Amino acid sequence: MSAYLGQIGAIAWKDLLLELRTRERVVAMGAFAVLAAVLFNYSIDRTVVRPQDIGAGLIWMTIVFGGLLGVGRTFHLEAEDGALQGVLMSPVPKDAIFLGKTLSNFVLLYIVSLLVVAVFMLFFGMELGTSPPMLALALALGALGFVALGTLFAAVSSGTRMGETLLPILLFPLLIPVIVFGAGATGRLLSGRPVSEVVGNIRMLAAFALMAVAAGSVLFRFVVED
Amino acid sequence: MAPESASPPSATTTPALEACGIVREYGPVIAVAGIDLSLERGEFLTVFGPNGAGKSSLLGLLSGALRPTRGDVFINGTRLDFGAVDWRHDVGVLSHQGFLYAQLTVQENLRFYGRLYGLTDLDSRIPERLAEVSLADRSNSRVGQLSHGMRQRLALARALLHDPDVVLLDEPYTGLDPSAAAVLRGVLTGLKDGRRTVVMVTHNIGEGIALASQVAIQVRGRFAWQGSRADVEAVDFERLYHRVVEGRA
Repeated sequence: MSAYLGQIGAIAWKDLLLELRTRERVVAMGAFAVLAAVLFNYSIDRTVVRPQDIGAGLIWMTIVFGGLLGVGRTFHLEAEDGALQGVLMSPVPKDAIFLGKTLSNFVLLYIVSLLVVAVFMLFFGMELGTSPPMLALALALGALGFVALGTLFAAVSSGTRMGETLLPILLFPLLIPVIVFGAGATGRLLSGRPVSEVVGNIRMLAAFALMAVAAGSVLFRFVVED
Repeated sequence: MAPESASPPSATTTPALEACGIVREYGPVIAVAGIDLSLERGEFLTVFGPNGAGKSSLLGLLSGALRPTRGDVFINGTRLDFGAVDWRHDVGVLSHQGFLYAQLTVQENLRFYGRLYGLTDLDSRIPERLAEVSLADRSNSRVGQLSHGMRQRLALARALLHDPDVVLLDEPYTGLDPSAAAVLRGVLTGLKDGRRTVVMVTHNIGEGIALASQVAIQVRGRFAWQGSRADVEAVDFERLYHRVVEGRA
């Protein structure tokens, strides 16, 4: 078991180290998040709608679209010099490869998600609400569900000529539960509603994340094997 | 040759590497058209052949990178099972591509692969491997800053890092200058230690024969000629090669 966890850790460590060196994905996702918040800020007529009422939905749309920029490039890291082939030919179970990549994507997207919330609080005058830890948990579970499916479909689309177009078409319909329950929990928490009101949403996000990780772990080998 | 054969290796004499009638088709194209081979521990097979003969596909099948359309591959008597991973500890592959990350350093690349193979003595093993390929002074250089020859040597160090029993080499001399080729020749000669089994695909007849204990010429997915080192030395091999490739032998 420790060898298995070591292999997952090695893959996640390598991906994060590559990101630290190149900063390709975090910069793209972070820049998108900031620009989206600025544009949303100017697109709202504050005499008609209160930013707080739609902020949570915009936060999650920004996370999803911005996250796609990073998650979609998961396997571009491996394309140069055939590195993915080297990983696939090593004695690492395919599900460990999937979990390692999901873990590194989760770290990156979670950082971006926190940035998105901070930027929207700045531009939309929103406050952290009654329970910042629950807000952090909702973001974490939503991000985990997203990256689990995103990593799987990034592997599918990386092997096709239309990969970057194909990825959102495959992925977005499956992300509806993340948007619904993530935005529901985030909206309530940011508007100061009691934590008891979001427990159901948090459970649904946790269940979705669990199912996405399990499904990805099982299906990944069928995507990457010859 | 027996394309449909899938009989397991004999229990009394277990070859280090055995292929039984392996076939690989890409749609209508047959890249490997039924190859049988059996190599004992310590043997070094060099495979020559023209471009498009299916040599890289053969190595892909032997390494488990490709799944055979028909036939089976056995390593140390164990049939390659694509659902399992243990047999991959026994195989090292140097491909056309180095499987290296340009943004990581030499040492970071080897450490990453070492962790994938579950190696625990990387602090001592990595410097040893780098010394063997004359890259000890470049351990902190990023791979993207290395020359082609250095990358090729590093790729070889990666392929041998886990001390595999079976080593598969695809055109290792391509693009190397004479000094880099000399270093590579030294490392490959060191593989003939009686413990490892090596299959090398190359166009370089001189280098290939110098290392080989067995030689094959692959044409249109089949071994059109096979022989031992003694067989090769008894003939004008270059002439034989051209005759075999042109279908005159």
